[in-house]
Amino acid sequence: MRPNFFHHLHPPSIPAEQSRWRYTLGAGGLAVFLALVLGFTGILEMFFYSPNPADAAQSIQIISYHVPFGGLIRNLHYWSAQLLILVSGVHLLRVIFTGAYAPPRRFNYLLGLGLFVTLILDDFTGYILRWDQDICWALVTGTNLLKTIPGIGTFLFRITVGGQYACESALLRFYTWHIFGLIFLAAVLMVWHLFRVRRDGGIAVPPPEARPDRERITRFALVRREVLAMLIAGAALILLSIFFPAPTGVPITDPAVVTEEARAPWFFLWVQQMLKWGDPFFWGVLVPSVFLLLLALIPFTFAQPEPAELGQWFPASARSAQIAAGILLLVVLLLSLKGLTS
Amino acid sequence: MRLSLFLAAVLLVIALLMAAWVENRRPQALAVTPSLTGETEFCITCHADLNEISPSHPVETFGCVICHGGERLALDADLAHSSMRGGANPSDLSVVSESCGGEQCHSGSPAEARDHIQRVQTSIQATYAGAIANMRYTYGAQPDLNAIFGIQAVQDSETATGIPALAAFDPTQENNPSLQTFAENCLYCHLYVEPLDRQEYTRFTGCAACHTPLTDHAKQDGIPDDVHTLTTAIPYTQCNTCHNRGNYDLRSMTFTERADHPTSRLEDYYQPIAQFTQCEYTLDCVDCHTRQEAMGDGDIHANQKDIEYVQCQTCHGTLEALPAMQTLTDPNDLAFRLAFLNPVINLALGDTIIVTPKGEPLWNIRLLPDGSYEQFGKATGHRFTFRSVMGSNCQQNVDEQESHYCHECHAVER
Repeated sequence: MRPNFFHHLHPPSIPAEQSRWRYTLGAGGLAVFLALVLGFTGILEMFFYSPNPADAAQSIQIISYHVPFGGLIRNLHYWSAQLLILVSGVHLLRVIFTGAYAPPRRFNYLLGLGLFVTLILDDFTGYILRWDQDICWALVTGTNLLKTIPGIGTFLFRITVGGQYACESALLRFYTWHIFGLIFLAAVLMVWHLFRVRRDGGIAVPPPEARPDRERITRFALVRREVLAMLIAGAALILLSIFFPAPTGVPITDPAVVTEEARAPWFFLWVQQMLKWGDPFFWGVLVPSVFLLLLALIPFTFAQPEPAELGQWFPASARSAQIAAGILLLVVLLLSLKGLTS
Repeated sequence: MRLSLFLAAVLLVIALLMAAWVENRRPQALAVTPSLTGETEFCITCHADLNEISPSHPVETFGCVICHGGERLALDADLAHSSMRGGANPSDLSVVSESCGGEQCHSGSPAEARDHIQRVQTSIQATYAGAIANMRYTYGAQPDLNAIFGIQAVQDSETATGIPALAAFDPTQENNPSLQTFAENCLYCHLYVEPLDRQEYTRFTGCAACHTPLTDHAKQDGIPDDVHTLTTAIPYTQCNTCHNRGNYDLRSMTFTERADHPTSRLEDYYQPIAQFTQCEYTLDCVDCHTRQEAMGDGDIHANQKDIEYVQCQTCHGTLEALPAMQTLTDPNDLAFRLAFLNPVINLALGDTIIVTPKGEPLWNIRLLPDGSYEQFGKATGHRFTFRSVMGSNCQQNVDEQESHYCHECHAVER
């Protein structure tokens, strides 16, 4: 069989170990698939979405209720976005807990981390585009957090929301960030990240001499596995979209009105929970930044795994990195859970 | 592997077919683009069976959203209803200005008689000022019967009654426990509040308290479609939801609810000492009592008797004078508008109708060529005729013309 275009995106063959579900969880590949679904459904939504405060929430209602298959497309976009954050997080944890960040993959680890942050921001801006009353907390509190940063806070706030208040012009800013600025950044980072995967020798496995399993699989088998994952993920996405529609709310009339019950988007629940403890700069900006910094330092300051231990979960030689990431994960999960139940 | 791929492809196809099936099952959206807003709304997708609320609010002109609020585009009931004004009742006084207000609607100029909302909010039925003042006076909380408090704070910048404002009555500020008991037990028949839970009392709040009369059937079955009605043909039964609920026992200072279901208007009316002439228990309340009496005249009044002014003589005149009358010469006369809203009478230019001393048209009463009058029941459409006192055998002193003097001869034995 002659390899087609899609086969050529892959190496002719790879060690079988690199493509084991139980090792990679398929998370990186799923993230690429979800990003493609997001791009496709997002472009379709752009035909109907109006980034204008007076019409935004209503144009979403039009998409959801009146455009043929509009509801399905929007739900697919919504669920792909939520799953992308989840799957990217799982991918990050997989890399940390298998020690795959070790040289020569340090730089790609940072690229991936940057991509993860970019995707969270893109999810956040997309959430704001709903412009209904349920996003008020995120809009007002989230943007006000920027202001608390000493020195450059006000400047950051103004370039983010396009004015002194998070209102009319903010929607257009968020729209442009969502569909252009952040997507451009994410696309560059994603392609670079994928390129670096190949440049760094594929998915982390022990050097050939230390590999217990010398089997290799061809690009044909690899593509088949990817297609299988995409088919299952596609079906799951469609079923999720049918049974759990994306939230739709009442248009914002006054963005300054934040109700007590207002809840942050799920991926920021942990920050919202910390904000209840006091100083918004400390809990809302500094602590999350320290978390991010800790993650970024993992390939540099924590114990590195032995090359022979690559390709398996929880290599003993990199215990300190696993413990650090485990604690961060636990803190974020517990805070999110508290935010969800309070 | 090939089998897995095949099965996964089948799974995807099934999911896609399900999506198509769900899409196909969605109800056909039905749209109305009311001329007043020009904005398409889809409420009738589910509410196509609902009757038009009144001939003066045709759905193709008003639609639903201009009064009810709500999400006009949503086809999901929860979202569509989530931003409705006043729940099912947009005429609740907390939202009435947004729902029913507007220069061309019900908060326009007094000169065009379009100031219903302003008048109602200062009216005694909304402020309950008389009852509050009486109770506070009785229990020593104020030295006289002046109106100080209303249910809500209201202001009247051009007062003709000398009451420029009422503060909101706050029972928690009262020292006398009886006043707190009064607030707990008795404040159930003003326009802001839901009535007590009993079929005889069932009514809406706000404008709909009177203008959406509820039949027994409607009360029993909750909120069926025939509740979606606004009318000026208000039967006495609707007034009775407040005005025939029971009696206050002065010895125990408690309110005793009626235990029976009143059937005879004459026998079952609640005040044992009240006297009634035939027209008072035959006609409906709104056949004599006017818009200003019921909905206020724009001024804040201290109690009910200050706003009630229609007497027997308003229609019957006195021995020396006929009732005040007006011959209709202007096709834009308010009388025609009111007769259009409730077409029990076929008023024509040149007809002579009775007007009250304050100039309000009694548009359902017309002078006949023989000098007698015909009156059409606003709620019943029944035709009645009556004569003026002038020229009759009545021997009443000309300076004793209030209704209670008429009752002395004309009241029916109860």
